[in-house]
Formats: sequence, C-alpha cells, structure tokens
Amino acid sequence: MTHHSILSERLVWITLVFVALVLFMPALRPIFAWLFPALDRPVYRLDSFLSLTLAHLALVAASSLVSAIVGTAAGIFVTRRSGAEFRGIVETIVTVGQTFPPVAVLALAVPLIGFGAGPALIALTIYGLLPIVGNTISGLTSVPPDTAEAARGIGMRPGRILLQVELPLAAPVILAGVRISVIINLGTAAIASTVGAKSLGTPIIVGLNGGNTAYVLQGAILVGLLAIITDLGFERLVTRLQRWRLV
Amino acid sequence: MIELDHVSKRYDGLIAVDNVSLTIDDGELFVLIGPSGSGKSTILRMINRLMPHSSGTIRIGGSDITQLDIASLRRRMGYVIQSIGLFPHWTIERNVGAVPEMLGWDRARIAARVTELLTLLRLDPATVRRKYPHQLSGGQQQRVGVARALAADPEVLLMDEPFGALDPVARDALQIEIAQIQRASRKTIVFVTHDMEEALRLGSRIAILERGRLVQCASPLELLRAPANDFVRGFVGQDERGIRLLSVVPVTERLRPGDDASGEPIAATASLRQALSRMIERGADRLSVADDSGARVGTIHLADLVRQA
Repeated sequence: MTHHSILSERLVWITLVFVALVLFMPALRPIFAWLFPALDRPVYRLDSFLSLTLAHLALVAASSLVSAIVGTAAGIFVTRRSGAEFRGIVETIVTVGQTFPPVAVLALAVPLIGFGAGPALIALTIYGLLPIVGNTISGLTSVPPDTAEAARGIGMRPGRILLQVELPLAAPVILAGVRISVIINLGTAAIASTVGAKSLGTPIIVGLNGGNTAYVLQGAILVGLLAIITDLGFERLVTRLQRWRLV
Repeated sequence: MIELDHVSKRYDGLIAVDNVSLTIDDGELFVLIGPSGSGKSTILRMINRLMPHSSGTIRIGGSDITQLDIASLRRRMGYVIQSIGLFPHWTIERNVGAVPEMLGWDRARIAARVTELLTLLRLDPATVRRKYPHQLSGGQQQRVGVARALAADPEVLLMDEPFGALDPVARDALQIEIAQIQRASRKTIVFVTHDMEEALRLGSRIAILERGRLVQCASPLELLRAPANDFVRGFVGQDERGIRLLSVVPVTERLRPGDDASGEPIAATASLRQALSRMIERGADRLSVADDSGARVGTIHLADLVRQA
C-alpha cells in the first residue's frame, strides 16, 4: 500500500483541518476581524458549526443513501430481461433530468412540497438518483459478454452472476456515479438552506442577505473542504475496488 | 451418451439447425465442423441449454435435458469458448475453483484440485494461482479456461472453437494437451471447429454440417476415403486429401516385418504423414519403426505410403 501513502496523507491532513475549523471556528475571530474590519460580528454564532456540519452531513447521507440504493436497483432492473422494456424511458429521464440545474430542482420542490428539510431531502434524493441510475446501466452493460456467457455456461445462476460477476465488474463505474451524486448533493445541500433546511449553507445565505462576507466565507470554506474530502475518499475506494487491474 | 433426436433450431424465421440426429458415445472426442453459419456452435450451445432448441429431443445419459435443472446440467458439463471468458477480477485459483465452489467443496479440497489441474495443464501452480487473467498470455489463459472446465470432473466437455484465437504454437501445444487429457480421462468431448486439420487430428468422429444440416458423420479415415458429396470433398480439401489421409493412418498400418533401414527409428504412434516428412528430410526411402520401449518393430517403406488403401 506504499504507493497510496501520499494520497492517504493528503486525505488525513485535509480532514484534520476541516475538523479543526468546525470545532474551533470562533477561535479564528481575530483573523476574520482583521480581514473584515467593518463587521461587528465576524464569526457566525447563531448556530455552532458542528451542528451545521452534522445537519449538512445528515441531509447528504440520507439522500445519497436512498439515491444509491434506489438508483442501483433501478439500473439493475432495467438491464434484466424482465425490465428491458423500461430501459429506454429510464435512460431518457436520466439524460433529460441531468440537464436541470440542482437549484431548479429545489425551486420546483418548494411549491410542490413546501419549506424545510423534507423538501430539500426529497429534491436531493431525486436529483442524486440520476447519475447513479445512468452509471449503473452503463457499468452493467459494459461487462464483457464473453464473461457473462462463460458464467452462464459453467452453471452460475442469475443471482450469483449479478453479485459475483456483473456488480464487481461494474462497481467502479457505479461508484463513479455515486461519487458524482454525493458531490453534487454536498453543494446542493448548501443551497437547500434557501428553502429552510439547516446546513452549512445557512451562514452563506445569512451572510449574503445581511452583507456579511465573513459568514459566506466560513460556510463556503467548510462546504468546499467537505467536497474535497469526499472526493478523495471515493478516489481511494475506487482504487481499492480495482486493485486487480493494477497488478 | 449424448443423443440428439431430430433436433431443429429456428429463430427469426431462419432455420439454424435442421432436423439433426446424432449420438455421441461416452469417451468420444466428437468434432462438429462446418463453415460459419452451419449451425455447429448452435448445436453445442443447445446441449448445455445456452440456447433452447425449437423441436426434437436432446438427451444426456438418457434423460431429456429440458427436464433437468439448468444450472445443475451445466455444472455437469465443462464449457470452453474461443474468447475464454475468464473472470477478470478473480485470481486464477478462484477462476479454476469456480464450479467446485458452487458445488460446496471445502477450501482445502478446492486448493488441492486447483494445484492438480494447473499441473495437468502445464502451468506452475505456485506462481500462476495468485495471478489475474490479464497477467497471462492467451495460450496460458486458455489453459486456465480448460482447467476451469475440468475442475469438478464433469462427464462432458463442450469446447467451442477453443483454440481458434491462439497463435499456432500455443494452438498446437493445446491440441496435444487436450488429446492426452482425453485419452487419459476418457471424457466425452464435443469439439466445435472450422479447421479441418484440427478436426482430423483430434476427432474420433467428425460431423460435417452445412447450413444447419448434417451432411456426413464418420471417422476421419472414412471421411477422407469416402466423402459423402462434393461439399464434403471440398471441405476436406480436394488437393490435400491424399496428404490428410496419410496423417490419419499410423505407420503400424503399413509396417513390413524386419529391420532393414539405418538411422534413427520413427515412433510406432507416428502417422504416415510424419513418416513421409521424415523420409523427405533424410532423403531415405525407408525408416525403421520403434515402439514406446525403443524396440524395433519393423520398417516402413516409401512405396507402401503411396499404396492405395
């Protein structure tokens, strides 16, 4: 694992910086006061950054988990013989759906479902589905036909072929979809505070409304670091899943 | 025993296999040969139900295959394909042990079987078992493919142009290997190829197919001596027929008693074609013949090679 050490260190260091900022942001008051001398309150104090972070993560984790499970299941279903007739329509929805910006999805969710964490969760889940369904379909269809044929030929049953051959071979592509989904959701969850969900976007929105650039910066830095950490984490996971390709 | 009883396969209005009846005996290396689109692979894939047949009956060991559980049926038959189809994300050990694993063998028994099979296929178990398929050459991969097919000691081996994509050296070596394995294990092998040379070399019987129909089913010698029609005559190679006849007859068939030749003897298992080649090489018109133990058993003369059989 020596060739992963640089990557793993970077992941560790960024995570440490992130955790330190979440816990000790108020301690940086002098720096923000020096950067923004005009502001009375240069550090966001309406809520602790820890509770904002946890709310943000809960929103993303819950929506991404549901997206991943439902999205993978849908992708598996339409690539089976029994679900093949739905594949065209599902692929169209995925393609068209991804052209909507996530903000538009949130804006549409409010009149339909109302304000709060609920609508944000639903919007994030639905939007997060798209890359996962799309990638699951392309991952499963890229499994070499010879491999699938050999699996059937030696007497594997369909369930075993799916679990032991198709999904492991498609895993890197499916995971790339989950990665895109989670990263998008991390950003969208910030915007979700415009519809009343508590998240790391709250200081950003409060700051934008009240002309407090320090709040915006504090929220944005944490969201940015979270996205980087998540991305690096997925990178490690994908590398691990494909170890057999590298030997 | 595998029996095909008036078997047909139709799809999209086309007849891929047309009323074929065949009996493949236990311990036979049965070759299905024909040009592309002749239905040879379709027949093979109907035997392990990768393709359903449209009409007729296919029986293995007396039971109708449509009455058997499909996965269990396939586990009784090793399956080797041209594109090999190893699982790329599994080690060679796990690939070879795939069927035993499904049959619930314990780890130690699987490991021992993998060692045995890799050794049989002339791969070094110690180094190869932990490798992944992409780390092996095409020839080595197909050796693993054959090992995987043999893993649970199936009654039947189905081979669909198994050596078609290999380079000539690897193909030659694997042909020899499979012939030896077949002789030693007396396994029933159904072998699809479009290469007449390969069919004559390996087959105990050869079935020639043309556009889904069985044209002739005979031993290599019969096929060369008495082709059923012009198609078969063309397929066995009109210009090559004489030479190919020599290649399916062993020197023992034309042996003269006594040893009146000089030089290195030729093996009794060699074909007349190999004897001819050796004579041309040496500029000699006779060779002495020795059996496995090296004892001289007689002489083969050039004049006897060209004698009409």
